[in-house]
Parts: sequence; structure tokens; C-alpha cells
Amino acid sequence: MTVEMQTDQDIKKYAQQVDEPQWFTSMRLKAQQEVEDLTLPNFQKIQYHSWPINATRKLEVGDHRLTDEKLVTEQANIVQIGSKVIQKDLPQEFMDKGVIVCDWATALKKHSELVEKYFMTMATEPTENRLNAEHVAHLTSGLLIYVPKNVILKHPLTSYFFQDARQSRDYVHHLLLIADRGSEVSYLENTGTIGTKPCPANIIEEVIAEPDSHIKFASVDRLGENTTAYLNRRGYLKRNARIDWSMGMMNDGNIVGDFDSELVGEASHAEVKVVAISTGDQVQGIDTRVTNYGQHSLGNILQHGVILARSSLIFNGIGHIIHGARGAEAQQESRVLMLSTKARGDANPILLIDDNDVVAGHAASVGRVDEQKMYYLMSRGVDKKTAERLVIRGFLGPVLSALPSKEVRKVLADMIERKLVNGQKDE
Amino acid sequence: MATLEVKDLHVKAKEEEKEILTGVNLKMTTGEIHAIMGPNGTGKSTLSETIMGNPNYEVLKGDILINGQSIIGLPVDQRARAGLFLAMQYPAEIPGITNAEFIRAAINSRRAEDDQMPIPAFLKKLDHTLKTLDMTEEMSERYLNEGFSGGEKKRNEILQLMMIEPKFAILDEIDSGLDIDALKVVSRGVNAMRGPKFGSLIITHYQRLLNYIKPDVVHVMMGGKIVKSGDAELAVKLEDEGYAGLRDELGLDVKLVDEE
Repeated sequence: MTVEMQTDQDIKKYAQQVDEPQWFTSMRLKAQQEVEDLTLPNFQKIQYHSWPINATRKLEVGDHRLTDEKLVTEQANIVQIGSKVIQKDLPQEFMDKGVIVCDWATALKKHSELVEKYFMTMATEPTENRLNAEHVAHLTSGLLIYVPKNVILKHPLTSYFFQDARQSRDYVHHLLLIADRGSEVSYLENTGTIGTKPCPANIIEEVIAEPDSHIKFASVDRLGENTTAYLNRRGYLKRNARIDWSMGMMNDGNIVGDFDSELVGEASHAEVKVVAISTGDQVQGIDTRVTNYGQHSLGNILQHGVILARSSLIFNGIGHIIHGARGAEAQQESRVLMLSTKARGDANPILLIDDNDVVAGHAASVGRVDEQKMYYLMSRGVDKKTAERLVIRGFLGPVLSALPSKEVRKVLADMIERKLVNGQKDE
Repeated sequence: MATLEVKDLHVKAKEEEKEILTGVNLKMTTGEIHAIMGPNGTGKSTLSETIMGNPNYEVLKGDILINGQSIIGLPVDQRARAGLFLAMQYPAEIPGITNAEFIRAAINSRRAEDDQMPIPAFLKKLDHTLKTLDMTEEMSERYLNEGFSGGEKKRNEILQLMMIEPKFAILDEIDSGLDIDALKVVSRGVNAMRGPKFGSLIITHYQRLLNYIKPDVVHVMMGGKIVKSGDAELAVKLEDEGYAGLRDELGLDVKLVDEE
């Protein structure tokens, strides 16, 4: 299959069609020019350069009507298929307190200044790497969430983002979540795929925590088997801000996940929890980084993953303390459990310390299921697969029990069970 | 009535050459409690682990049968569902799953998908059993054996035993590391199970436990086989005369591990 490259003319045409602001179109054109000169981001031990991960197709307004597909969603506030919002049902509290939640086209039209201020200006940049540049040049869908100053939200916001792979098309999706000064929000995101066409997904999510804000960000990612994905989640934390990340990587296809927290502000704090399960033949490469710029900033990474069948799972944990970040702390723990001899797992701790007055630590392990535990469980009558799932639950337990929300714990526990049951069928 | 039979069983550890069991013969039925006594290193634990199906042991010769059916080719979980239970000397610790959850999963593994034990019935039985064993409700909500003391683990084995209600329970040195109060509690649990549908094989090297759980038959193992069987009096006699006395009486050429 040959794909015709997107030209400047194509961008302009699309911009006119969707009536996007001039500054955004200019950004696209600039990014498009840079694409060829930029390289794919490098992640240690994650070999993905030969994957069909690049977004190349021309921008187009997609038709994402549902026909007879069934979407599995729990209680949701926002459901998007491709670029189209098919359900929007916000808690009354959000309306009353002036919270903005809207799709990308609306965000650019109605909240252009807000987007211009934050879109890839702090947490990441269009020219950081090739995938970022492709992202800007090909972006068609997304969501803006803005929580105004000092607004404390009691109700969580739950979103579902479905990649539409019923036809071959690129899924290029952006989340911009801004918690303004002193605000608090809890957000639960679910990603998924409808359709089975092999497609790339390029998702960048920026989570901006202004001073004294607190964001609880939880996600359950379930992109499809034939999707090749770049998933970049970036937190940008100002003074005294906090982000609690809880991420469940339950995808079925190949994915490289880049989960970073820029601890810019003094005493900013990021807790990063990741659980991942790889099954079948898939490869999931997860690069989790906390970078301490701010004095007394704190970044903790805890990631546990399980590998079944012939799949791979690579965890990189990076703690980077910048010179001048006095009193900063970076801790990390990465553990991988392999259930099959054909699986491949890696847990790489990387510490980059440029200041003296800091605390940093790491723990990493790759191991197999303890035969003694299996024997004990099975001696009570439970079959091998159930016993395996119990051991896995135990292994993931320390991450699950550390999640700040009971609801998220439940959602993730159910998803883990489902992914494991499916994965075991393929052993 | 069910039967458990061990026939001319020869066993070695997977990684080693030496035969540990050198021809064990044993037959018991539900309604009976048998005790196996013997000095250290004589193969008592190997026997219990082999009956249960521990993959670390290899059967060289002989057979194990439940109701006349060989179970030697069955994996451990199928043996458990066939009615066997082993209260282990060193139970594994499994974080992340609570005692109660696990026990329920174990009970339900014996029942059909559409006939799982209802939660209220389960909780009622659990509550009652916990009381019998002087255990708090909190123990059932803790992770399986995680951070349990030696005594708590033993008690927890008996809790599972009473909840699962196997046909045959092998108790592998359930008395080791127990103080006298805990020993009484554990014995109370086993005695509560006594009845025509339950049989137990108690492995111990002290007679003390048998003061609390009266065996119908006592077997003495030495050098990898049963060398003498008798009634409860045999255990008392052993306590008085020691294993060396019996060995010499039987004229056996067996070296006792603890003998210098």
C-alpha cells in the first residue's frame, strides 16, 4: 500500500473545512516541515523503530457514526469515537463551577487562547521528536478539560476514547487537562478500539498542574490487537502541585508508552503507579520518568507487570534529578513476573543524578511464578489457571492497593481479570 | 465410605538419586484416624507430599489409590478435588488474596459453575469455624498466611480443612511449633471433623499430639517404610522406649539422623 504524503495544501484545506484558528494551522505547517528531519524518540531496550507507528494519512473529517457496534462503557461523562463526541453528560457541579469540558474542534473555536497558552508549550513540544511533530500535523481529535482556580470537584470525570479502526485511518488524539491554581480534580480515562483494521494511534496527553492543584489521573488502556500505538502522557507540575497517576496498560497490540512527570515547581509531587499485562504476541514498552527540577520535589514510580504467552513487557524507570533541585527525592520500583518461558521481560532502573543534596533509590526485578505458591494454592483444589491468576493478583496487589480511589481499584481489578482470562486462552 | 491406599510406594526427590520411600504400604478408610510416627529424616513428609502430588517428588514404583482408582497420574488440584487435603508444614504466603476469598474459591472449585456456594451460607460457616478455632474475623480478611506467625499458619491450615471438608486430610507435623494452648485448639478442630465421612493421616514425631487426637491406628516409619503398626498404645510405648529401642527390637539396620 502506498500512502500519499500530506502536503501543506492538504493541511490548509482541512483547516478551512473545520475552521480552526490561524495560529493552530501555522503550528501544523511548521510541524509538518520538521517531520522529515526529526527522529523517533529513543527508549532503552524498547525496539519499536520498525513498527508501523507513524501517522501519515491526510487530515480528514471522519464519519464516526455507530452502526451496530456495541460499546462497552460503564458510567461515562464523555464518550468519543474518533473525533466525534457521542455522549456528553457532565455532573451538575461541573456546570455550576465553570469547568470546561469539550472536544478538540470546540476547544479551538471557543477556547483558543487557553489552548494556545498550554498546547505543547510546557509539558512537551511539537519538535521534541518525530512522533510529536506527526501528532501536531495530523491531529484530528481530542478533549480539553479546564478546572478554574480554587475549584474543588467532588465528582470524578470519566471519559472513553475509542479509536475508530473500522476503516484504515490514523488515530491522532490529544488530551489537554489543566487544573488551575488551587483546584482539585479526579479523572478516569478509558481508551479502546472499535474495528480491527491495522492502524497507528498517536496519543499525547498533557496534564498541567498549576500551583497548589491536585490531579488524580487514572487510566485503563485497552487499544486493540491491530493497533500500533504511541501513548505519551506528560505531567507538568508547578509549585506545590500534585499528580497521582494510576495507569493500567491492558492493551492487546504493540504499544510504546512514555509516561513522564516534569517536577518543575518547588515541593511538587508525582506518584506514578503502573500495572501492565502483556499477552499473545504483543510488545508493550513502558518508559516512565520523573524529572526533579524543583527543590524538595518528590517523584515516586511503582510499576508491576505480568507477561503471558510469547509477549514482551519492558519497564524503564527513570529518575532524573536536575542540578539545583536541592532536597529532591526520586524513588522507583519496577517488577515483572513472567508466566511463560517464551515471554520476554525487562525492568531497567535508570538514575541520573546531577545534584548532591538529594535522595534517590531504585528496585527492579524480573522473575517467574513461585512454584511453591502454585502448589499450595492448587493443593486446595483450585485449577492451575485460577491459581496463576491468584498469584498474579497478589503480585499486582501492592500497586492496586496503593491506588488512591476505590472505584479505580475495582475497574482495574476487573479489567486485569478479563485480560488474564483472555490471555490464558492463548497459552 | 471411602478408602485411601498406598501400595509399595518407592519415591525419590526430583533432583536427587537416593530413594527416600522404599516401599510404603498403607490402607485406611474414612471414619479412621491413623498416625504415622518416626524419627527425623525417615520420609514421613515425603510420603504426605507424594500422596498430595507435590511435583518435586518422583514416584519410582507403586501406586496411590482413592476408592480403588489410581491418582498417581493426576495433578495436585485434581487430587484435592478427589478428596485429599494436606495441612502443610510450611504453608506458602500469598499476598493480595484474602483468606476468606481463597477459601471460597477452593470450595467453589469443587462445585459446578451454576452451583457456587452462596455468600451468606459461606459466611455463616466461616464464622462458626473461626469460633471453633479461637480465630478472629480479622484473620479471615488478612492476606493468605502473609505475616502469620507459625502458630497462626497452623491454625489457618485447620480452618481451611474444616471449611473444605475433604475425605482424607493429611496433617504434616501440625504440632510443630505449637504451644500447648494452640495444640488444644488445633486438636479440637480435627476432632470436630471426626465422623464416618472423614479420615485423617496424622504425621508427627511426638506422642503429645496423640493425647488430644486419639488415633485408631499408629504406624511407625523407619528407613523409608512402615516397620510396625498397632493401636494407640504403640505411640505410648515409643514415647517411653524411643525409636532406637524399637529399631533394635526389630533388628533393623537403619541409622537415625539425630543419632551421633
